[in-house]
Amino acid sequence: MTTEIKENGNQLIAVFNGRLDTAAAVQAAEDVKPLLEAQNKEIILECEALDYISSSGLRIFLGIRKEAAAHGSKVIVRNINSNIRQVFVMTGFISLFEIE
Amino acid sequence: MKNPSNIPVKRSHSGLWILIVAAAVLEAISCLQYFYSRNAIRLEAEQRAQSELRRAELEINTVTIEMEAATKMLVTLAERYIDNPDSIAGATRTLLQTIDNVSSAGIACEPNLFPKKGRWYEICSSRETKDGQPYIYTRQIGGEHHDYLQTEWYHCGLSIDSCWWSEPYYDNSGAQAMIVSCTHPIRNKQGQVVAVACVDLSLAYLQGVSEYLKIYQDSYYCIRSGKGQEIVTGDDTIPGRKYQIFDEFIDKTGWSISIVIPEDVIFAELNRIGMIVGILMLLGLALLVFIMWHAGKNVLQLIDSTARNQRMENELHIAQTIQKAMLPNVFPPFRDRLDLNIYGMVNPAKEVGGDLYDFYIRHDKLFFCIGDVSGKGVPAALVMAMTRSLFRSISSHEDRPEVIVSHMNKALTDQNTENMFLTLFIGVLNRDTGELNYCNAGHCAPVLISGQQATIHELELIPNLPVGIMEDFWYQGQKTTLQHDDVLFLYTDGLTEAENNRHEQYGEQRMMAQLQASACGWRPRTIADRMEADIRKFVGGAEQSDDLTMLVIRYQTPAIIMRNDIQQIPTLAEWVDGLGLPDELNMPVNLALEEAASNVMLYAYPDGKGDVIIEFSRINRDGHEGICFTISDRGVAFDPTKQAEVDTTKSAEERPIGGLGIHLVRQLMDELSYERIDESNVLTLVKMLSC
Repeated sequence: MTTEIKENGNQLIAVFNGRLDTAAAVQAAEDVKPLLEAQNKEIILECEALDYISSSGLRIFLGIRKEAAAHGSKVIVRNINSNIRQVFVMTGFISLFEIE
Repeated sequence: MKNPSNIPVKRSHSGLWILIVAAAVLEAISCLQYFYSRNAIRLEAEQRAQSELRRAELEINTVTIEMEAATKMLVTLAERYIDNPDSIAGATRTLLQTIDNVSSAGIACEPNLFPKKGRWYEICSSRETKDGQPYIYTRQIGGEHHDYLQTEWYHCGLSIDSCWWSEPYYDNSGAQAMIVSCTHPIRNKQGQVVAVACVDLSLAYLQGVSEYLKIYQDSYYCIRSGKGQEIVTGDDTIPGRKYQIFDEFIDKTGWSISIVIPEDVIFAELNRIGMIVGILMLLGLALLVFIMWHAGKNVLQLIDSTARNQRMENELHIAQTIQKAMLPNVFPPFRDRLDLNIYGMVNPAKEVGGDLYDFYIRHDKLFFCIGDVSGKGVPAALVMAMTRSLFRSISSHEDRPEVIVSHMNKALTDQNTENMFLTLFIGVLNRDTGELNYCNAGHCAPVLISGQQATIHELELIPNLPVGIMEDFWYQGQKTTLQHDDVLFLYTDGLTEAENNRHEQYGEQRMMAQLQASACGWRPRTIADRMEADIRKFVGGAEQSDDLTMLVIRYQTPAIIMRNDIQQIPTLAEWVDGLGLPDELNMPVNLALEEAASNVMLYAYPDGKGDVIIEFSRINRDGHEGICFTISDRGVAFDPTKQAEVDTTKSAEERPIGGLGIHLVRQLMDELSYERIDESNVLTLVKMLSC
C-alpha cells in the first residue's frame, strides 16, 4: 500500500495504491497529513488503484473531509471500484463525498 | 493427619468413671437397704421372741400355780387326816387322780411321827403303766435306802412356810424321771410342822409345754432354775457363732427362760436376699460394661469409618484430578494446524470413572479413541488408565486402528483377572485427505454430522467384540472419508441411558434430535455443551447413574490464527482468498473479518499479547447454503454486538470518527452473535449464500 501526494496548481492529489486495511492505515494516516493543513484547495483522493478499504481507511477519508471543510477546501473522491462504492453506500459515505 | 488412637483412651476414662459412679450408687442403695432390713428383722425377731417368752411364762406360771395349788390341796387333805397314815396315803392317790399334770405326789413325815410305821414314813403315789394300762401306784418309800430326811427338799419344805420349788433332780424312788418338786409343810392340829407335802412335776412334761419357744428352725430355748441348773435343756452353743439371746424371768419359781437364736439364722433370709441382690448388681454392672463397650466400639467405629471415609474422599479427589489430567483437556488442542476443532468432556458418575477419550497427532494423522469400561468407580478407573496407556503406546508405532485394538485386546485380556471389559472406538484420521480409518469394539456408533448438508447419520459398524473378552479375537477395521465441516460425535452410553426421576432414559431419539439441531454449524464445544444442557434438563434432579463422556471432532478448513497485532491483518486477505468463496464474497468477507478481528485487537488484550483465531465452515440451513466464521480470543470479556449503532445519515461535521467497524460487519453479514465460553470471547458471523 502506498500513498502519494501530488500538487497540481490548486489541486492536491492523493494517489492510493493497494489495500487500505487496518494495518496499512497507520502509514496512510501519516502520508495524508499534508492534506489536512491545505487551505482553500481542491483535494482529490485518487482511488483508481485502491483495491480495498476498511473502516480504518474510511476514518482517514472522514478526517480529511472534516479538516477540508474547516480550511475552506473541497474533497473529491475519484474512480472508486465497485467494492469500495459498496462500502461507501453501506456507511453513508456516498453522501458525504463528491464522487467522480 | 490426626492420630485416631487418642480417642479410645478418652472413651475408657469416661467409661470407667460411669462404671465407678454406677457401682457406688448401687452399692450405697444396697447397703442402706441391707441395714434397714437387718434392723427391722432383728426387731421382729425380738418381738416374736418376747411374745413367745411371755406366752411361755404364762403357761409355766399356770403350771406352777396349778402345782402349787395341788400341793396346797394335798397339804389341806393331809392336815385333815394327819393322825391316820393310811388316810394321807389316800390323799396322795386322790391328788393324782384329780390333777393330770402331777406326775407324782408324796408326803414325807418327821421321824417317828407314826411309831408303828417306823422312823421313816414317806408315802408316794406315782403314775405307772402295766400291760399298756396307766394306773396309780401308791407305796411307802422311806427307809434307810431312801433317807429323805437328808434331802434338801425335805429340809426346805419343813422350814419354808410356803411353796418351795426344788432344783431339778432325778427321782429314783417315785417317778423315776427328771423332776422338780414343789413342797409345803404340813402341820398337825397343834400347828406343829410334822410332814412335808411334795408334788412332782415331770420335766418331760415341761418340755412339751414350751415346745413352741423354738421360734426358728435352728433356734432353741432353755429353762434354767434360779441356781442355773437347766430344767429344759437346749443345744450347746458353738464357739465363734453369734447368738441373740432373749430372757424372761419367772418370779414365782426363780426360773429363767431363754430363747437363743443364732444370728445367721435370724438373718438367713436377709443374707440370701442380699446375695441375690449382690449377684443382680454384678450382673447389672456387667451388662452396663458390655453396653458401654459395645456402644463405645460403635462410636469408635463410626469415628474411625468417618476418618477413613474422609481419607478415601481425599484420595478419590486426587485420583479424580489425576484421571482428568490423563485426558486431553486444553481446547483448542492444536495451535499450529487448525484444521481440527476438538472438544472432549467426561462427567464421571462417581469421583472417578471408567470412561475415557484420548487423541493426539502423529505424522499428520489424528489418533483418537473413546471407551467405556464395564462398571464404575475405582476398578473401572484403573482399567481406564491402563487402556489409555496401551492406546498411546501401541498407536505410537501402528497406524491401523484394527491392529491397535487387537493388540490392546490381547494385552487387556491377558491381565484381566476381574473379568472386566470395555467397549472401544478407535479412529485414525488423515488430516490431508479426510480419510478416516476406524475400528469399533462394541462401542455405540459415533454420529457423523455433515456440516455442508446438515444431515446426520450413524457410522456403519462391524459388530466386533468388546475389548478384554476373547484374547485371540481379531478385530476388523473400516474406512470412510470426511469432508470439511463434517463433525464426528462420539459418546458413551451414559448419554443415552441418562435417567430422570421417572426412570425414563434420555435415549437415542432425543440425542439425534439434539444433534440435528447442532448441524447448523455449531462448533464442537457448543455441540457438547448444549447436549449436556439438554440432558440435564431432561434428567432434572435425578442422580447421575453412569459416566457421561463426549468427544466431538470437526474436520474443517484450516483456521487462521493471528497474533494480537494489526500488522497481522494482511494475512487475513490471503486466508480468505484461499477459502474458495465466490469472488463477489471475498471483499465483504475480508472486510467483515478484518473489522471484527481488529476490534478484538483493540479491546481484548490490554496487555498486548494474545491470539485471535478465525474458523471457517460451510453450513446448511433448511437447504440454504451459508458460510460461518467464528472469531475467538482469550482476552477480557468484550461483546462488540453491544456497541451503539452508527447513524449513517448525519453530515460529515456531525459524524464521529469511530464506530464504523462493527457497523460494517452488521451490514456485510446476515448474522452476528457473541458468546463468552469459559475464558473465551466467541463471535460468530454467518452469511447465507443463496436467496
